[in-house]
Amino acid sequence: MRDLHKRTGTEDELIRVVDALPGLVWTALPDGHVDFLNQRWCEYTGLSVDESYGQGWQTAIHCEDLPELLGRWRSILASGEPREMEARLRRFDGEYRWFLFRTNPLADSSGQIVKWCGVNTDIEDRKRAEEAVNGVDRLFRSVVDGLPVLVTLRTPAGDLEFANRHVLEYVGATIEELKKLPTTGTVHPDDLPDLLAVWKGSVETGHPYDIEVRRRRADGVYRWFHMRGSPLRDTDGHIVIWYLLGTDVDDRKRAENLLAGEKQLLEMVAGGDPMSGILEALCQLVESTVTGCYCSVLLLDPDGTRLERGAAPSLPANFIASIIGRPVKVDSGPCAMTACLNDQVIATDLTAETRWAASDWCSMALAHGLQACWSTPISSTTGKVLGTFAIYFAQPRTPMPQHQILIDQFTHLASITIERAQTDAALKRSEAFLAEAQHLSSTGSFSWNTVTDKITWSEELYHIYGLDPTVPITMERFGSRLHPDDVAHVSEHINRARGDGRDFEVDYRTQMDDHSVKYLHAVVHAGRDQDGQLEYFGAVQDVTERRLSEQALSKLRSDLAHIARVTSLGALTASIAHEVNQPLSGIITNASTCLRMLAVDPPNIDGARETARRTIRDGNRASDVITRLRALFSKKDATTELVDLNEATREVIALSLSELQRTQVILRPEFGDDLPPVTGDRVQLQQVILNLLLNASDAMGGVNDRPRQLIIKTERDVGDRVRLTVQDAGVGLEPQGVDKLFEAFYTTKSDGMGIGLSISRSIIESHHGRLWAAPNDGPGATFSFSIPRGSPGDMTGVHNLDALQKPAVKDAQRIVRNP
Amino acid sequence: MVMRSLISVVDDDESVRESLPDLLREFGFAAQAFSSAEEFLASDCVGQTKCLILDIAMPGMTGPDLRRELTVRQQEIPIVFITAYGDATVRPRLLEQGAVECLFKPFSETALLQALNDALRVS
Repeated sequence: MRDLHKRTGTEDELIRVVDALPGLVWTALPDGHVDFLNQRWCEYTGLSVDESYGQGWQTAIHCEDLPELLGRWRSILASGEPREMEARLRRFDGEYRWFLFRTNPLADSSGQIVKWCGVNTDIEDRKRAEEAVNGVDRLFRSVVDGLPVLVTLRTPAGDLEFANRHVLEYVGATIEELKKLPTTGTVHPDDLPDLLAVWKGSVETGHPYDIEVRRRRADGVYRWFHMRGSPLRDTDGHIVIWYLLGTDVDDRKRAENLLAGEKQLLEMVAGGDPMSGILEALCQLVESTVTGCYCSVLLLDPDGTRLERGAAPSLPANFIASIIGRPVKVDSGPCAMTACLNDQVIATDLTAETRWAASDWCSMALAHGLQACWSTPISSTTGKVLGTFAIYFAQPRTPMPQHQILIDQFTHLASITIERAQTDAALKRSEAFLAEAQHLSSTGSFSWNTVTDKITWSEELYHIYGLDPTVPITMERFGSRLHPDDVAHVSEHINRARGDGRDFEVDYRTQMDDHSVKYLHAVVHAGRDQDGQLEYFGAVQDVTERRLSEQALSKLRSDLAHIARVTSLGALTASIAHEVNQPLSGIITNASTCLRMLAVDPPNIDGARETARRTIRDGNRASDVITRLRALFSKKDATTELVDLNEATREVIALSLSELQRTQVILRPEFGDDLPPVTGDRVQLQQVILNLLLNASDAMGGVNDRPRQLIIKTERDVGDRVRLTVQDAGVGLEPQGVDKLFEAFYTTKSDGMGIGLSISRSIIESHHGRLWAAPNDGPGATFSFSIPRGSPGDMTGVHNLDALQKPAVKDAQRIVRNP
Repeated sequence: MVMRSLISVVDDDESVRESLPDLLREFGFAAQAFSSAEEFLASDCVGQTKCLILDIAMPGMTGPDLRRELTVRQQEIPIVFITAYGDATVRPRLLEQGAVECLFKPFSETALLQALNDALRVS
C-alpha cells in the first residue's frame, strides 16, 4: 500500500500486515474518497494505487452493479453505520467476480467519523451457489408454467397462493384478478356442491382428494378436469399449503359420455323403449357431444313420399313442423333431398345455399337462426331409406372427420332403433293378428319339450281351458283337466310322441270347473329346439260347438233318415202286407185243417200234428217279418256293430221281393263269398240298400222292351273295403242330373221326396264310405257304395267319444305321475 | 166210389201249397198243388180240374195270365183268385172278367168253402 504521508517504521510494519490480509482492504475519507488500497487490491484488479485513488476504483466495478453500489455507498456514508454491499469486481484478466463490500466507520474521540474502513471479500463461489439455487427456482417455475395441467397452491383457508400460467390462460385472468375471484368461481355450478364437500372433507382430515369437475374456460366453454389436491406439510407435520393439479379430461369424458350414451341408447332399444323416446335421447346425446349443434331425426313414411316426425328435442317446433309432411323431392330441402337421393347432403352455409330455392327452405331455416345443415340418410340393413339424421348449427360449419365418424355412428344407431321399432310393430301386429285369429277360431297353440317337459301355452289356450294364464301350465295340470275317459288314449299319444317324433292328431275332452265338457282337437307337429331336443308344437281347437252341432246334425240326419225309411217302407206297403199275409194265410189254413182232422172220428192225430207244426213255422215266419219291419220302422240312435252285408242285403231283398215281383223286376243277387263284415249301423245300411233297390225298380217301371233285370252284387273292394253294386236296366241317368242326384230334394219322380239318395250318401259317408252313380255301357245305371271292412276293435266307434274305453286306474296314475 | 172233384192250387208260396191241399182234402175234395202256372199247364190235371185256386202275383206267368191262357185254350175252369196283396181294387176287375171269387190272404175256411161251392155250382 502506498500512503500519501511519510511512513514511520511502525506504519511500514502495519502496511505489510494489511497487504498480507486475505482480502482487498481499503480506507476512504468521510466524503467517500478512497485514500488507501492494499497490495491485494492492486494485484487483483491490476490497477495501480494511483489509478484507484479517489473515484478511480469505480472503473473496476461491473457497470451493471455500479449505480446500485454507488447509491448504496452514499446511503452508508450518510448513515454512518457499518453496512455491506455486493458488486462484481473486474479481475486483472478481465473476469468479474462477486465481492462482498463490508464497511466500518472510524470515529475520533469526539465521535466524528474520520475514516471509513472497508474489506472486499470474494463471494463468487457463494454467489454462484446462490445463483444456481435461484436458477433451479426459475426452472421449476417455468416448468410448472409450461405443464399442460392447471397447478394452483392454496392455503388451508382456501386462499389462492399461486396459479401457473396454464391456469391464468385457461380462465383468462391475471393472478391478481384470480385472487379476487371467489374460490370456486370457475367451477360449473352443477359440480360445485360435490367439490366443496370434498375440499371441506380433505381440509378437515388432511387427506388428498380426487374429483372430476367442469371448469369454465375464458370463452365460457366448460371443460372437464380431473382435480387432485394434496397437502404439503412442514417438519412439524402442519399443513402449510395445498397444491392442486387439474388435468383436462374433457375429451376422455366426452368419449366416455358418448360411449355411455350409446350404451344407454342400445339398452333402450333392447329394452323395447318407444322409438320416439330413443330418438330423442339420441339427438340429445349428439347435442351434448358436439357443442352448439341441434339435431333432428325424420322418418320416411311407408310409401316413401313424405317425411314424418321422428325426434327434434332442441329445434324450434314450428321449424320441424314446416319440414315434416314435405314431399320427398330433391328441391324440398336438405332432409327431403337426402331421403330422395339416399345420400348425405351437406349445406355448410345456408346464406349462400341455392339448392332449395324452389321451396324457399333456406330463408325459413335462416329465420330460425340456423345457418348450416348436415343431413345424412338412415338406411336399413337392406339399404332402404328409413329416414334422415340432420345436424344444424347457428353458424356456418363444415363437418370435420370426427364429425363424420359421429354421424356414421348415430345414423347407424338410429337405423337400429327404427328397424327394431318397425319389426317390433310388425311383430306386435302379427302377434295381435295371431291372438285375434286364435280367439276367433277358438284355437290355442302350445309347445312341449319332451326332455324337460316344459310346456308353453298361448293365452287363448288358457282361455279355452278356463285356466289362469299367470300360473304356468304343467303336464300335471294338463292331465288333471283331462276327461277321465280320455286319459288312457291321450297318455298313449303322449308316451308314443316321446319316442317317435312324429306328427299326430288327437281328439279329447277336457273338464271345466263347472263340470261342463269341452271337445278339443289337437294337431301336433314334431320339431327340434336349438339344442336338438325333441319338441312338439301344436294347435288345439275347441271343437265343442262343432261337435255339438255335429251331434245335433247327426240326430237330424237320423230323424230324416227315419222319415226317408218310413217313406221307403210306405212304398213297400203292398209287399210288406204280402210278406205278412202269406204266413198268416198258411197259419189260418193249417189251423182250420188241424181242427178238422181232430174233429173226425177217429181223429187224424198225425195229420193234426203235422198241420200244427206248419202253423208254428208260419207263425215264426210272420214274426220274423214283423221283427225286421219293426227294426226298419224303429227310431233309435245309430249303433255300431259288425254287419254281414250279404245277410243284411238278403233281408232287404226278402222284404221287397214281392214288390219286385209285382213290378216284374228280375232280381239277380251275386253275393261275394267270404265277404268280410263291415262296421256300421245295420238298419241304416239296409235303408241304403232298400233305397237303391227301389230306385232301380222304379227306374225300370216304364221299360217294356227288355227284361227288367236288376243285379245286386257284393264284393271285396280295394283297400280293405267292401262294395255293394245295384245295376238296373232302366231309364239311365240324365247327364245334367248326375251331379244333382245326391242333392236333397232332387227327384225325377212325381211321388218322391227326393231325400233318399241324399240321405243314403250321408249314411255311407258317416260309415267312412263313398256312394256314387255311373251310367251303364248299355241301358240303365249302376249305383255303388264302398265302405271299409270292420274289425272287432272298431266296435268302440270313432265318431262317438262317449263310447271310448274307460281308462285303467294305473293309466290315470301314470299320466299324473309321469306324464 | 164217387170221384172227388179235383181242386188245383197254383201258388209260388210253399206254405200255401202245403197247407191248402190238406184243408181241401178235409173238405172232401181231391187236391193238387202247382208252384207255377207253367207247371199247371204242363200237367195232365188241366182238364180234370173242377176249380182252380190261383195266386195272382207269381214270377213268370201271373194268375190273370193263366186265366187268359185257359180262355185262349178254351178250357174254362172256374177260378178262385187268392192274393196276399191287400189291394181291394183288383177284386172287382177280376170278378168282372169272370172270376168266381177273389180272396185276400189270410182267408177263413168259411170264405173258402163258400167260394168253392160257388165255383162248383158254376161248373
